[in-house]
Amino acid sequence: MISDNAKKQIDDWIAKYPQGRQSSAVMEALKIVQAENANQLSHDSIQAVADYLNMPGIAAAEVATFYENYNHQPVGKHIIRFCHNISCMLNGSDDLIAHLETKLGVKTGEVTKDGLISVKKVECLGACVGAPMFQIGDQYYENLTTDKIDDIVDGLK
Amino acid sequence: MADIKIEIDGQIVNAKAGETLIAVTDREGISVPRFCYHKKLSTSASCRMCLVDIEGVPKPQTSCSTPVSDGMKIYTQNEKAKASQKAVMEFLLINHPLDCPICDQGGECELQDVAVEYGSDVSRFSEGKRVVAASDIGPLIQTDMTRCIHCTRCVRFGSEIAGMMEMGGTGRGEDLKIEPFLTQGITSELSGNMIDVCPVGALTSKPFRYELRSWQMASVDSIARHDLTGSNIYAQTYKGQVKRVVSGDNEAVNETWISDRDRFSYEGLSHKNRLLAPQIKVAGQWKEVEWDVALDFAVKGLNKHVLNNRKAHQLGGLASNTATTEEFYLMQKLLRELGCENLDYRLNVNNLEQAIVLASNIKLEALESVDYAMVIGSNLRLEQPMINHRLRKAQLAGAEICALNVKEFDYNLKISHTTVAPQEIATLLAGVLKSVLEKKAVELPEYLEHISSSELSIELAEKLLNAENSVIVLGEHIVNNAQAASIAQLVTDIAEQVTGSTLNVSMTSNSLGAQYAHFVPTSAGMNANEMLQADMRAFLLLDVYPEYDFHHASSAIEALSKEDVFVVSLNSFNNDLTAEYADVILPMAAMYETSGSHVNINNDIQSFKAVVQAPEEAKPAWKILKVLADLLELPGFHYENSSQISSELAHQPHEHSHDSAIDLTSKDDTVETIWMHSAYHTDVLLRHTAALGASQIGQTHLASMNVATAEALALKSGDVYLGVPIDITDTVADQCVFVSSNQATIGGL
Repeated sequence: MISDNAKKQIDDWIAKYPQGRQSSAVMEALKIVQAENANQLSHDSIQAVADYLNMPGIAAAEVATFYENYNHQPVGKHIIRFCHNISCMLNGSDDLIAHLETKLGVKTGEVTKDGLISVKKVECLGACVGAPMFQIGDQYYENLTTDKIDDIVDGLK
Repeated sequence: MADIKIEIDGQIVNAKAGETLIAVTDREGISVPRFCYHKKLSTSASCRMCLVDIEGVPKPQTSCSTPVSDGMKIYTQNEKAKASQKAVMEFLLINHPLDCPICDQGGECELQDVAVEYGSDVSRFSEGKRVVAASDIGPLIQTDMTRCIHCTRCVRFGSEIAGMMEMGGTGRGEDLKIEPFLTQGITSELSGNMIDVCPVGALTSKPFRYELRSWQMASVDSIARHDLTGSNIYAQTYKGQVKRVVSGDNEAVNETWISDRDRFSYEGLSHKNRLLAPQIKVAGQWKEVEWDVALDFAVKGLNKHVLNNRKAHQLGGLASNTATTEEFYLMQKLLRELGCENLDYRLNVNNLEQAIVLASNIKLEALESVDYAMVIGSNLRLEQPMINHRLRKAQLAGAEICALNVKEFDYNLKISHTTVAPQEIATLLAGVLKSVLEKKAVELPEYLEHISSSELSIELAEKLLNAENSVIVLGEHIVNNAQAASIAQLVTDIAEQVTGSTLNVSMTSNSLGAQYAHFVPTSAGMNANEMLQADMRAFLLLDVYPEYDFHHASSAIEALSKEDVFVVSLNSFNNDLTAEYADVILPMAAMYETSGSHVNINNDIQSFKAVVQAPEEAKPAWKILKVLADLLELPGFHYENSSQISSELAHQPHEHSHDSAIDLTSKDDTVETIWMHSAYHTDVLLRHTAALGASQIGQTHLASMNVATAEALALKSGDVYLGVPIDITDTVADQCVFVSSNQATIGGL
């Protein structure tokens, strides 16, 4: 379930914590395993991570379902992580999300047919000064408008 | 902790520095509302309901997570405290459904009770409420997670007490859900306690679903008798039926937890298989008759077959280990008055010459403070759940626990497993004793001189010697070991040398009651196995089901079915085999339907009353035995209630254990089979409990062996061994098969 390469990376993280506290590496371990499985965590891979770190499956699942960065459904090559918390919402994120959905022909949580893009609503990303905003990969895009969104999305390959 | 004084609502109270505030208010009887706090669980302070005002602290504080300090002034009822509590209540009710009329928790719901005092009449929340789909977590617990208020008591119970974190909180914020991760549901043997700790109707008893309201039932305290703990319970009854069992509090016995076995076994009482009327066999045909006819038939039969011609030595008495102490006492008194010394309850022992004699000399509470425990031959977690719970507490406090078993069982505590073949346990322990004696520079007895101490035995000896407070636990799997008596003696000797304690859990249920009531044969009489081989003319049976209870099940059935053997059988349940061999069947009360007492591992004699009446014509066995004795014209059976029997019994002198000779020679190369019933099939009531039988533990039906053994027996994956599907695993020792079965032994051994 977990590749040797992934195990090696996880072991590096385990080594950073005191002995017997290997479960502290759960967030990184989930991330590593997710990266190897089409950017997605299945029930079985969460259990595999838990077994590898010698912790209960449910404890790993608690972490995996708490953070937005773990995906439990198929995702596209690019994930547009749209903030819908208060500052963005007051600045019109709801309408922009609707625009994006219409443009791509998908609902939030879904993937475009070509598998390129998926949209996810996320909690505050700490960029309220540039609301409304979203994140693709490591990049923040701020002060969004419908035109700006069209440009950004059309540029995704 | 230093003694301090604090002021609560203007009243000065004593406390210990560092105690939580809620512990102090609870002790003083000051009511503070709470949902997530539980005295036996860690503090999570997540429900916020126990907010109180503390002078000098600007914001209200949760009393479950606030340690008290000298001079603290606390207000639990002032405007600020009340306002905060009401605000929290309003938040908790935002998503809680108003389905109290169809909720099983209604009437005994902590949320409902607190809402009456702190809730508002009208909700200001007009949006939609959160809905959570129910998940099926097994046959014992019903979930309605829409009602969940996320107190996490069940989650903490799982990880802290049951030792297996099965429930957890997934998602976050509004999407937070309490659910199990594993699809097979909840598997803990203590899972039912989650029902007790749940403050709302999210987790309720599945067998009890939609049955009754709590206020309709009478709650009677009783004692559970399925294991050696004798957990204190409340049996809740309605119209003469036990409807539910919940845990009682007794720190010295079960604290506040009970096993699922004790909680759900009541369900079997209303099984359609209950025996409801006395029956006699006339010319091969069964006939339901009145009690006086049946008893008269029994007395005439006993007179004809044994008593009239002074053949009392050809009469045998056999009883199940679930009988009450009073029943054991009365039955042995009856038999001995008739001049019969043949009586036994040790039906599941292969060789009674090798019967284990070992006293337990450590109490349940003291088990928590051992620093080293050696468990020999027991799957303690399933066989004696509350004893295992105490050892788990010891382990969490730093004790080291090691297991010498034929199989690596799933323990819920950190334990170092060593698999040892049954043929090698005695030699291993002899090595331990030798090593202990050598280290203490004590002269070796002759039989140890030729024993070589293995590395393992030297290591175990060192650990035992280094421990200040050790215990050796001897379990059920040793009962049929060819060297059982020697093993027990070695355990006694080792414990004595290392000044440790011993705990004998090799016989369960009320076996200690049987010993206390002298229900064991003296040298003048025959034991259970001897009776099966002897030329017997009559048997008196107390709730015996040979296909499950006997190790030698087929010889037992053969012995009972012989022509011209007169069998009087007292039973709580119908059984096809009983109908074949018995001549009179007398319906007896089951657990909860009779008064008496149970002797637990602490040697506490815990008495209980009958909680309900036995159904239809069934009567408590002590009454049946008393009337039988009267009709046999025996003196001294003028009892009016079972406590008169108990007090007579208390005046009888009790024997002490004796030393057995140690024999390490017998050893052969054949494969040993250890046959254990699944933890939910150990007695007749449990075998009739549908919900327990349907649970994962109750479904266990596997013969485990390692590859080498499978090869030696010419078995491969998918085959059956003695009628049981095999499981080839390297967690089993060489040369043995460990069977855990939910079916009759017959066909097996």
